[in-house]
Amino acid sequence: MRQQYGRRSQVLAGALALFALAIIVQMTRIQNSPEADIFRQQSEAYAYEYRTFYPNRGEIYDRKGRLLAGEQIVYEIGLDLNIMTDPHAISFAVADTLGMDYDSLMEVIQNPPEGLSYIILADYVDAQQALYLQELKKALNEEAPEGSVGGLTGLQFKSHPQRSYPENALASNILGFVSREGVGYFGVEEKYDSLLAGNPVTVLVPTDPNKAFEIPRAPDGTTLILTIDRDLQAAAEDILDSSLGEYGAQDGLIAIMNPRSGEIYALAVSHRMNLNKFWNYGAIYPNSTYFNPAISMSYEPGSVFKVLTMAAALDSGTVTPETTYLDTGSILVGGVTVQNWDRNPWGVQNMIGCLQHSLNVCMVTLSTQMGTGTFYDYMDAFGMGHLTGVDMAWEAPGRLKVPGDADWYPVDLGTNAFGQGVAVTPIQMMAAVSAVANNGRMVIPHVLYAMVRDGRQHEVPEQFGATPISEQTAATLNEMLAISLEQESSLALVPGYRVAGKTGTAQIPVNGIYDGSQTNASFIGWGPVDDPQFMIYVWLERPTTSPWSSETAAPVFSEMAQRAVILLDIPPDSIRHQLASR
Amino acid sequence: MNIPNHLPNVTHLIHAYRVAPWRVQRQWIGNALLLVVVFAMVAALYLNVTSRTAIAGREIQDLTDAIAISRQVSSDMQTQLAGLTSAASMEARAREMGYRPVEPDELEYLVVPGYVAPKAVDLSSSAETQLNVLTIPPEYNQSLLDWMDDRLVSARRFQ
Repeated sequence: MRQQYGRRSQVLAGALALFALAIIVQMTRIQNSPEADIFRQQSEAYAYEYRTFYPNRGEIYDRKGRLLAGEQIVYEIGLDLNIMTDPHAISFAVADTLGMDYDSLMEVIQNPPEGLSYIILADYVDAQQALYLQELKKALNEEAPEGSVGGLTGLQFKSHPQRSYPENALASNILGFVSREGVGYFGVEEKYDSLLAGNPVTVLVPTDPNKAFEIPRAPDGTTLILTIDRDLQAAAEDILDSSLGEYGAQDGLIAIMNPRSGEIYALAVSHRMNLNKFWNYGAIYPNSTYFNPAISMSYEPGSVFKVLTMAAALDSGTVTPETTYLDTGSILVGGVTVQNWDRNPWGVQNMIGCLQHSLNVCMVTLSTQMGTGTFYDYMDAFGMGHLTGVDMAWEAPGRLKVPGDADWYPVDLGTNAFGQGVAVTPIQMMAAVSAVANNGRMVIPHVLYAMVRDGRQHEVPEQFGATPISEQTAATLNEMLAISLEQESSLALVPGYRVAGKTGTAQIPVNGIYDGSQTNASFIGWGPVDDPQFMIYVWLERPTTSPWSSETAAPVFSEMAQRAVILLDIPPDSIRHQLASR
Repeated sequence: MNIPNHLPNVTHLIHAYRVAPWRVQRQWIGNALLLVVVFAMVAALYLNVTSRTAIAGREIQDLTDAIAISRQVSSDMQTQLAGLTSAASMEARAREMGYRPVEPDELEYLVVPGYVAPKAVDLSSSAETQLNVLTIPPEYNQSLLDWMDDRLVSARRFQ
């Protein structure tokens, strides 16, 4: 009996061993069969796939955290040709919803490029339109008879982000825009394109879920916080628009900056575009300089330049505020007679009167007394003819002719002193004049306040430019410009606040001859004089109601300053002094 | 000490029992079965761990896609919200409600002791911790074979 059991056990063990052996043999046979290589290749082909990870583009905020540039979801609408059933229904639905041509769609669907099983019918489709098509596809599927599918079967929807500007045209000149290829153009979008965009990563991604931890993550682009104040920007654009109408000006701009730090609060220009429709760029701007003339367009600034000439004369010790001269109404320089703006003599004047009445003869006297070396050294130190370094794309350096240049003539020493024959950008003038408001030290105008990356905010450290004049000179000139405005009872004055500033009326050369009827009216001013917190530059091109900046740009400055002090929470001087004395 | 007479028989029987062929055979079978059971347990454990890892891996892939979509949706909604609260729409709504821009002479400044005007916005988020391969403990992404390989390598290193 025991022997019988033993034999049965042996037979069973043998059978099991044979079975196991058969499995091993079969496994080995499969592993080494001719088909094994094909299966292996197939598995390798599906094991990994190349995938490009596009990081989300960084957002742009204003200084108070209001979104200026973000992302919105748009859709790529494609067609899977393998499962498509009704090309007519698809063409009709897509053409009707998206406003496309039915025949063109039919042509694409019926004659697709060879070898393709998926074709893109439309991209950057608005979410609402895509949702409508999705609902239609679903409804047709539900209504289809049992055993068949709806007419829109094969239609595919892939979402992806697209740059969006919730404020539309507001601050368009500062922001710039991003093309559909993801490239930034103009303004901050171009200047900080590589920071905002992040770096796309193309890698082999395992499809094996066991290797899921190998999926790379492309870090998102850096988010930027600008120094711009959205409300102040909106106010500046409103005031500029109404000023253009009120004074019949062709173009214009208003720039507001902190003269102590260089932070640009607002930069309003007359040509603005809805950044969500960036393809209209060509229809809006004659050329790239018009996108942001505050930094790209050079022009003859006229008398606002006298601030720099006077600063150089005071700092070099050529004159003091009390220095007098006899104004005869004209002066000869380089063989050319230069006259005052009103062609009249103003008699004996001191330097405050010189600024107050904006006398060309006075400026020519100062520049010729300083001589070419001193005058042009100072202008160079003020950054004339150089880039300011403002962090927006397409800054122009302007032009300052200097002795030795082929097109420099001795008369330029005289005309340059009152802002003729020199080309500057508004931002250059602000950077230069900031030395007067900032104890002799120039600021570098900028719009970037901070960057946010990986949840951490990094504030941009303050940067300063050259120190072309001494602190004492700056304080003296600050006071002189404030007094000159007060004595003139200028329209630029701001009730409750002591401000300093200078008008500038520059004739525009037409066919090489200055035309008295066409002018660039400018005003640069800042306040409060004892603690400057804002600097405003106004430029009106070809005002028709009056050619004089004292009657056009100056009141615009005042109106803008009155809005700025409210939005920037700057109390009137009397209250500020009361608070300081406590 | 006297030895009982029947003991040599007992010793003989014990010896016979020990060397009985069926007993030796059973021991072999027992050992073989033990080996099979151990192997089956290891295989079952490996299968279990591998399948769980595969499921977890698939979930990671799905969650990664879900995170990307959530981020897109979040950005989209943030942009929509910004559009609804844009300067132009807020001004229009304020005017509809009867508000108008304040005039300078209508303002009254009050001294609030201890108040410090905010400089600018701070968008840093201290709580944003991100999981990546380096922060996930190896127990969650290592297969049994990887673990054994790791042990062998470390054992060799300390030899």
